[in-house]
Amino acid sequence: MSDHVNGAAEGTVANKVPVTITVNGRTHRADCEPRTTLADFLREDLGYTGVHLGCEHGVCGACTVQLDGSTARSCCMLAVQADGSEVTTVEGLAEDGQLHPLQEAFWNRHGLQCGFCTPGMLMTACELLADNPDPSAEEIREGISGNLCRCTGYQFIVESIQEAAPKMRPAT
Amino acid sequence: MAEQSAAGLIGARVRRQEDPRLLTGRAQFVDDVRLPGMLNAAVLRSPVPHARIVRIDVSRALAHPGVYAVVTGDEVRAAVATPQPVIWRMIPDQRMTDGYPLAVGKARYVGQGIAAVAATDRATAEDALELIDVEYDELPAVTTLEEALAEDAPKLYDEWPDNVSCRATIPKGDVEAAFAEADVVVRETFRFARQMGTPLETRGVVATWDPFTDRLDVWLSTQSPNLARDLFGEVLDVSVDKIRVRVPDVGGGFGNKFDFYGEEVVAAILSKRTGRPVKLIEDRLESFVANAHSREQKVEVELAATSDGRITGLRGTVYAVLGGQLATVGIGPCWLTAALMSGPYDIANVEASVVGVVTNRSPYGSYRGWGQPKSNFAHERMVDLLARRLDMDPLDVRRKNLIPADAFPYASPVFFYDGGRYDECLGLATDAVRDRGWLRRRDEARGSGRTVGIGYSFHVEITALGPSRIMNMAGLQHSAFDEEVVRIDSSGRVTVYTGQTALGQGIQTALAQVAAEQLGVPLDDVTVVVGDTDTCPYTGYGTGASRAASLGGGAVLTASKRLKEKVLRIAGGMLEAAPEDLVVADGRISVVGVPDRSVSMAEIGDAAYRRINGRLPEDEVPTLEEREVFDPPNVAFSYGCTAVLADVDRETGEVRLLDYLIAHDCGTVINPLIVDGQLHGGAAQAIGGALYEELVYGPDGQIQTTTFMDYLMPTASEIPAFELLHMETPAEHIPGGFKGMGEGGTIGGAAAIAGAVDDALADLGVATVALPITPPRLLAAMRNGQVQA
Amino acid sequence: MKAAAFDYHRATSVDDAIQQLGAADDAKVLAGGQSLVPLLAMRLARPTVLVDLNRLADLAYVRRENGELAIGALTRHRTVETAELVRRDVPLLADALAHVGHVTIRNRGTIGGSIAHGDPAAELPAVAVALDATFRLRGPGGERSVAAGDFFFGYLMTALEPDELLTEIRWPVLPQGTGCAVEELTRRNGDFALVAVFAALTMGADGVCTQARISVAGAAAAPLRADNAEQALIGSRVSAADAGAAADRLAAATDPPNDIHAPADYRREMAAVLGRRAIQRAWAQANRTNAGE
Repeated sequence: MSDHVNGAAEGTVANKVPVTITVNGRTHRADCEPRTTLADFLREDLGYTGVHLGCEHGVCGACTVQLDGSTARSCCMLAVQADGSEVTTVEGLAEDGQLHPLQEAFWNRHGLQCGFCTPGMLMTACELLADNPDPSAEEIREGISGNLCRCTGYQFIVESIQEAAPKMRPAT
Repeated sequence: MAEQSAAGLIGARVRRQEDPRLLTGRAQFVDDVRLPGMLNAAVLRSPVPHARIVRIDVSRALAHPGVYAVVTGDEVRAAVATPQPVIWRMIPDQRMTDGYPLAVGKARYVGQGIAAVAATDRATAEDALELIDVEYDELPAVTTLEEALAEDAPKLYDEWPDNVSCRATIPKGDVEAAFAEADVVVRETFRFARQMGTPLETRGVVATWDPFTDRLDVWLSTQSPNLARDLFGEVLDVSVDKIRVRVPDVGGGFGNKFDFYGEEVVAAILSKRTGRPVKLIEDRLESFVANAHSREQKVEVELAATSDGRITGLRGTVYAVLGGQLATVGIGPCWLTAALMSGPYDIANVEASVVGVVTNRSPYGSYRGWGQPKSNFAHERMVDLLARRLDMDPLDVRRKNLIPADAFPYASPVFFYDGGRYDECLGLATDAVRDRGWLRRRDEARGSGRTVGIGYSFHVEITALGPSRIMNMAGLQHSAFDEEVVRIDSSGRVTVYTGQTALGQGIQTALAQVAAEQLGVPLDDVTVVVGDTDTCPYTGYGTGASRAASLGGGAVLTASKRLKEKVLRIAGGMLEAAPEDLVVADGRISVVGVPDRSVSMAEIGDAAYRRINGRLPEDEVPTLEEREVFDPPNVAFSYGCTAVLADVDRETGEVRLLDYLIAHDCGTVINPLIVDGQLHGGAAQAIGGALYEELVYGPDGQIQTTTFMDYLMPTASEIPAFELLHMETPAEHIPGGFKGMGEGGTIGGAAAIAGAVDDALADLGVATVALPITPPRLLAAMRNGQVQA
Repeated sequence: MKAAAFDYHRATSVDDAIQQLGAADDAKVLAGGQSLVPLLAMRLARPTVLVDLNRLADLAYVRRENGELAIGALTRHRTVETAELVRRDVPLLADALAHVGHVTIRNRGTIGGSIAHGDPAAELPAVAVALDATFRLRGPGGERSVAAGDFFFGYLMTALEPDELLTEIRWPVLPQGTGCAVEELTRRNGDFALVAVFAALTMGADGVCTQARISVAGAAAAPLRADNAEQALIGSRVSAADAGAAADRLAAATDPPNDIHAPADYRREMAAVLGRRAIQRAWAQANRTNAGE
């Protein structure tokens, strides 16, 4: 893309920006307004509706994705900023029809109820276990405290992450 | 998942059928619905708490590129047949507010809808909102209960004599005499902040109203699709056969999505006007003014008792701090606070009143627990205060006054409590407290200079809301039965069609467990279809009032039983055996003692639908389907005891919950995993309500909490691990014995937390009488004795 | 909650960014975006043009230079928090960063963004003030350095000119024998603190406090350096009574805000409580450090 894009003068239609982005291994190219957030771009333009919007102001964590290897809140980024990036969403966790160990553990342990916070919670838990392969319950609570859940009271989420941890640890 | 044998599926801790779609991002929530040509709408909201709307000029907005339509309150009023319905009318002479989907003439709270725009996308719609010019003639606002009740207070409704919408009193026994003869009388006033359910998914609707056929097709994130369909019909004057309400996955409800909101009507009107589908998704900021608020009350209570702690009388008044207009449930939640003010106690003389007062705040609607968290806080705090007055152990006061097990069914001031073993439940909790070493932990902490306390509460929870005729007599403008359909198809698989909504509570798995056990098929052979008024049966009321598992489970159980009888008759013919000599297990029907003589459910399905001749008995009609309507003879009361171990920082006023347990009885448990999850989640909301959450209004009537940085829903770090203890006393009047339990965790938490805080600060004589207990308030209370709002 | 429209410029160099900032009336710099993008969504920030620095890789670094730690303005919080150099040379900074929001926020948020935003309740401005960090700013007229103590002067107000860019923050290395402590009072984990105290105390060979660096966030319209408390501690052995007296001085200097989360009086009182705790904890750590633990 060019380095400067006119968003919209008063009352005119905005210029759109081409954005190229790789999501869950597939490269997409689409045009969007500069003001479009990464979350809206993933949901509306690319169809990754597993990315959920719970607050659009960077508190609830439901829109959390992996961006170039670490978690990011996709509501707190513009799509244009992610041009050329690699993104993983919840849709990219399961492979070949097999649930990811965290997905399996959340299912076993009732780590979700309505499921709205779940995609963000899973993405955060992935990073948490990568950084700390054997966390205590308190460390898990601290690690997911940027992801609000209104249904579960968190206990079964903590137990789910504990159950998944040994399965995600690299063999020693 | 692994094949589960049908036997014992009721009560089995199985993982949920709902989860794979939710875990993989394949669920469809209302904001994920995209229809061809769909427009996005946004609502202009009042920036002032009280004003006459002098003039609205939408011309600049209409001229904005990408805008398809703009509607104002007057235009919406002209398009509807009735004001927004209020379905709970317990108080016959209540003054109704007759509000419309957008403000007409006057704005009565900050955030009330004034106009709405439909445009190509949400950003463009929001751009256009900025181009609408509204002239307001501001009026003095009443922003608090006291201001609203003051003499000469500005009136919200010019035609009323004051700001009081209703007054009613619920009597039982002779309260005057009880207080005249009492050894001791304890009085207290409690205050509850505004709070709301705050599901993580905000509300939303996608409406397509065909202007030529008049068919209205709605996707709605709701707890009550049948109610919504009927109310759409009333308000828009369309017969319900033309209205279809579909409910996608729902990202939490908690009562907020029970009510029928003006935006839903606005979306329909915008659709008709533009000829296109219109999506209207509430964003988080507006959710704090456009969602029904709840909880805010002042409750005055007096207890009369004997000197040995026997409660002889209770008198109370609930002041409901209603908003600028009535929500769908009207005075309902606040009336329930009064109706259940005696809680689990056997009190001969009770007089509870409710006073509904309108203020320039957002409307008051449903939130998990309805009026019960407040009635519970009132009676439990009063019991603690009575014990303090009499220098008794509060547990002894509870034991002395709990309704004894042999007194059921028990006539409380309004409801018949169906049954329970309250004293045993209290014992379960106190035993666990002992076994977990709380007393030792409290004493050791005190020895080392920390401040730790133990608190208890005992709650009752009204569930299984019905029966329809009694509810109608009580003022409900709707029914409260439940209808379920169970079908076996030609391949022998089972589908349950339900009018209940799946909003995270696991209703699909729970109903599947009931059907699978009754029919003798593996759990994975059962699919539960929800969320479409065109294909699913009718449930009265909706998915609220802890009804779904209890009434839905009861109806599915009865329908499945009848369906199984037909299966056995068909199998009997095919196996040349009497139906009573047959057993069903794992989807096969076999002759008792001769397992080789069997047919599969698939063969039965084939015989009932396809290759009928010679296989389906001559006197049987084809197909395998049963429909059951269950209108329960009574509600069912679940109950429980909450105990909390809390640490108070005397320097900062911070409260930390060290341990938390709930002993609970909800009748026959269908799935303990789900029950545990519901109790956990309910308790977390109780903790939020007790310590963190408050919708704050400034003296100017402006709301000051419109983000998740200001409205403090607890994170995982603030919530403790929970210990749960179960007992099962089946409901005798409900098939299967199921009681509801969706709200129990929420009801009893605050009183137990307050009790623990008071216990920790017993030497200072602190009495917690207001919620939430914030650090500044608690620190002030340590100096003057009471936690005040 | 969708942002109003704006133009977008992806800066190709610091000079390019500065030129863009000067060219528009109401340009805003986009760094980590963790504060700015929500403000855009709420339409509380309405720039005409956003100048995105995120491709300026040469603004992201942590290195030791001339006895100081130099950190590029675009370095992410998480990178700084976990950098060995920072843990060793400026441990108070690493401790404070662990309190900034949550890991996901720290993955994106930048050091320069937090400083330039100038939130008086935030950790980084307060730590910079405590440690006498210096900020390198570049504008059309060239480069200048501003001491942290001269940089923040009101709620979200700083010495940064509209066409200037913060490029680097330089941190003095803390001496041997220094103990650090961060005490925060938050309603929920990760929230902005109601009050926070940052303390670095250095113990001399004779067991006397030789250097004290203390600041308070959430205590005034700008981050507050508690120099009166520092003066009270220097030369003392930091007894419990010394710590309490210094904390009282610290609290007396505050002029905290009154808002829905806490009244001003409460915040002032908490400044004394947290101040005492931070001083005692930092001193205990200095003790352990000196004992060679």
